[in-house]
Amino acid sequence: MPAIHLVFGTGFGFLLSRAGATEFDFYARLFLFQDLQLLWVISSAVAVGVAGILLLKRTGAQSVVGRQALTFEGRPYRRGLVLGALLFGAGWGLAGACPGSVLAMLGQGKLAALPTMVGIVLGTWLYALLPTLRRI
Amino acid sequence: MSIWSGWLAGSAIGALMVALYWVTNKQLGISTAYGYACQVLPGADHFRHPEFRRTNRWRLWFGLGIPLGAVLAGAGDGLTVTTGMGPLYEQALPQDLYLRGLMLLAAGTLMGLGARMAGGCTSGHVISGVSLLNRPSLLAGALFFLGGLLAVQVLFLQTGA
Repeated sequence: MPAIHLVFGTGFGFLLSRAGATEFDFYARLFLFQDLQLLWVISSAVAVGVAGILLLKRTGAQSVVGRQALTFEGRPYRRGLVLGALLFGAGWGLAGACPGSVLAMLGQGKLAALPTMVGIVLGTWLYALLPTLRRI
Repeated sequence: MSIWSGWLAGSAIGALMVALYWVTNKQLGISTAYGYACQVLPGADHFRHPEFRRTNRWRLWFGLGIPLGAVLAGAGDGLTVTTGMGPLYEQALPQDLYLRGLMLLAAGTLMGLGARMAGGCTSGHVISGVSLLNRPSLLAGALFFLGGLLAVQVLFLQTGA
């Protein structure tokens, strides 16, 4: 099913661009309370998301591809979650980008997203390399 | 680059997440795609388990689509390549491009590591996880914002922004 996921990814990249998630300064302006564009983006995505997921649950919809019953299991709590989430947030604010938006920024020719993207790969790799990090 | 109002773009992103869920029974998220890509690097056995590879292969295609979508969004403007970041970050981060790159590399490392420790990023934990009203995702989302707030407030202390 690569084609379906490629299409959804393309839609996501297009919408991240239209949302302004590919503008570095929107992240700083959010956390300096100068412009809440990205907060509106995230809140309305979640509002539509909550309603949509509820609808999928209520209607007992099956997946269009594969005709499976949908599963609604969330990601589990893990020990490193609190520290990891704070570290992620710090990187998010310092870089003015997130793991999805850096890919869209590169598509727009914004080269400052390149070191950030290489860093994300490096941080992900470090997690695999250092078993201590997985036990925190 | 034309930018839509936040609620319009956000609602469309929420609808895309729900559509992906309905069509494929998969939760929209991107940070695990970096883990999938890391399997080619030495010492990354953690990302090489057959079960991990089987369940996460789709993420690579999803991730490859993102820059394509950005190209489509900018198609009317003509592609411009720039090292610029906009006035705020250019003022707050080092002026020297190599130093700035190093700082962004460090910030990216925090994000990559933090996303794996937390089990997801802004898309997986916030857009998908919070929409599922999943408690660990609500906590992660709140802490993402707290971390971002602290980091930006400290970064911009000296600029008076």
